[in-house]
Amino acid sequence: MIKIKNLNKIFNENTKREFHALKNINLEIKNSSCVILKGISGSGKSTLLSIIGTLLKPTSGSIVVENENIAKLPDLHASNFRAKRLGFIFQSYNLFDTLSVKDNVSIALIPLGFNQKQIDEMVLKALELANINHKKDELVYNLSGGEKQRCAIARAIVNNPEIILCDEPTANLDYDNSLIFIESLKLLKSLNKTIVVATHDPIFDNLDFVDEIINIKNGTICE
Amino acid sequence: MKNSVFFNFLFLLLIKHKSKHIAIFIISILIVFLISSVLFISNSLKKELFITLDNQSDFIIQKTNNGKIFDAPISWIDDFSSINGVKNVQQRVYGLYYFMPENVYFTIVGVDLFEENTNKNIKELLSVLNISDFLQNDSMIIGNGIKKIFDKYHYFDSYDFKLLDKQSLNIKIFKDLPKEANLVANDLIIMDINLAKRILNIDEEYSTDIVLNVPNDLEKQNIKEQLILKHSNIRILQKESLKKEYENMFNYKGGIFLVLFIVVIFTFILILYQRYSMISSSDKKEIGILKAVGWSIKDIIKLKIIENFIVGFMAFIIGVIFAYIFVFILNAPILKNIFIGFSNVQNDFILNANIEFTTIVTLFLFFIIPFLSAVLIPVWKIAVIDANESMK
Repeated sequence: MIKIKNLNKIFNENTKREFHALKNINLEIKNSSCVILKGISGSGKSTLLSIIGTLLKPTSGSIVVENENIAKLPDLHASNFRAKRLGFIFQSYNLFDTLSVKDNVSIALIPLGFNQKQIDEMVLKALELANINHKKDELVYNLSGGEKQRCAIARAIVNNPEIILCDEPTANLDYDNSLIFIESLKLLKSLNKTIVVATHDPIFDNLDFVDEIINIKNGTICE
Repeated sequence: MKNSVFFNFLFLLLIKHKSKHIAIFIISILIVFLISSVLFISNSLKKELFITLDNQSDFIIQKTNNGKIFDAPISWIDDFSSINGVKNVQQRVYGLYYFMPENVYFTIVGVDLFEENTNKNIKELLSVLNISDFLQNDSMIIGNGIKKIFDKYHYFDSYDFKLLDKQSLNIKIFKDLPKEANLVANDLIIMDINLAKRILNIDEEYSTDIVLNVPNDLEKQNIKEQLILKHSNIRILQKESLKKEYENMFNYKGGIFLVLFIVVIFTFILILYQRYSMISSSDKKEIGILKAVGWSIKDIIKLKIIENFIVGFMAFIIGVIFAYIFVFILNAPILKNIFIGFSNVQNDFILNANIEFTTIVTLFLFFIIPFLSAVLIPVWKIAVIDANESMK
């Protein structure tokens, strides 16, 4: 369970460029559920996703994941939390273009202390699950958008995380690839992953496996 | 984090990102090469000259009058020998001979072949000599630079020295010295002491100066005073002072280079710092990705330290190897002449390999610490900002 209480995020606090990105957010995301954070660009959904992913620290409030407040974790604990319990899927894939698919996926396992044999086995499993195993030795640079996204999915699930966070995952995909991505999400949901997707893509509107759609506007949750 | 896995990834990144490092790698090699070359030359010359100086006598005594230097009477040998604590008192005969066609001066050194206490350096040069053959004819041994000049003017077997009374004295060329002796003997002509006196117009009862040894260091000041008491019109040169002068000269020349190199390194580090401060969006993105997938700031900095250390270390090793080849195999063309300075006869001496481990270690530390700092401060700055921001 992810419990978010009175969460605020202010950028450039006490300066002329001060911006209140999130205002008093209260939210509960159940385990193994799929939640869509919807909103236009600049609404605050990606900021909320980044705070859940410990990539950003909130100005105030708390986020409790399985009884642990992750809001103000020091870097070492936050990175440990990300490495063990989180998987990220980004809009622009965020892969190393000059590395192969296999190497990109294995990066997420390096901080976890696995040996090379274990890493190879886990990477292979993730690549198969993301249906990109046939391109494992290909450089990411040579992949299509859809293949890059599958590579990103493989990297997000390789550490077998409880939570998968997706930030505008279909923004760079065509309709067919977006549908393939949604099928992948469905598969992840069936594996009991908690999935949070920040998007403004209407393709996510009427999906049977989505448990909740939360609309965000100007940094607040709209009922 | 398993080290083997970490290093696998590190080497993978290094191979994939080689184009990113190439410019810094080449500039680093160039800087290390230049600094190492100067250090190698200066160390090699310093060592050779100090070995030469070590073989000199402790005191050199010249006769002076109103500040001018005159030939010293050889009767002083007995005077100085009578002082307790003084050993190996002997005359030295040397001087410059003008060779008009080339407008250069040769250094003539007269040696007493039967004198036991002849300078060790000269002894080494003469060790291959058959003394009876040498003395049978009026002969001389010439340095490599002089040999080249004599060959140019077709003096293959002998040379007629012009004396002050307009007569000439034919001296046979007995042997020329090997190139290895060029540093000390390039413009040197070694001959019998009496022949040298004739050519240099020194009276038989006189010499250029008198040299002596004082085995007990504590006695040196006392002996100096006694020498002056014996003859007040003398100038005493001590081996230690000469050593200090040479040391100052090398430190001065080395110092100029050092200042230049500090400026170069400083500029390089600034460029490096700026390059990483204006780190490309792909570099920033990489750091952001690593953070997002669970790498801590410590892990990222460790990765960057080792990545740049490998680049810096390899550049250092290659720079030092290039410098070694340039100085000790190619004999440092151009650069060595800056150190040796003015020379009458063009000197083509050979630099002998002499590398001090401490010099290499110091150079390495002076290079690698600023190198890594210049890279790491900007990397750390990027690593601590939000991963979201880095990945944009």
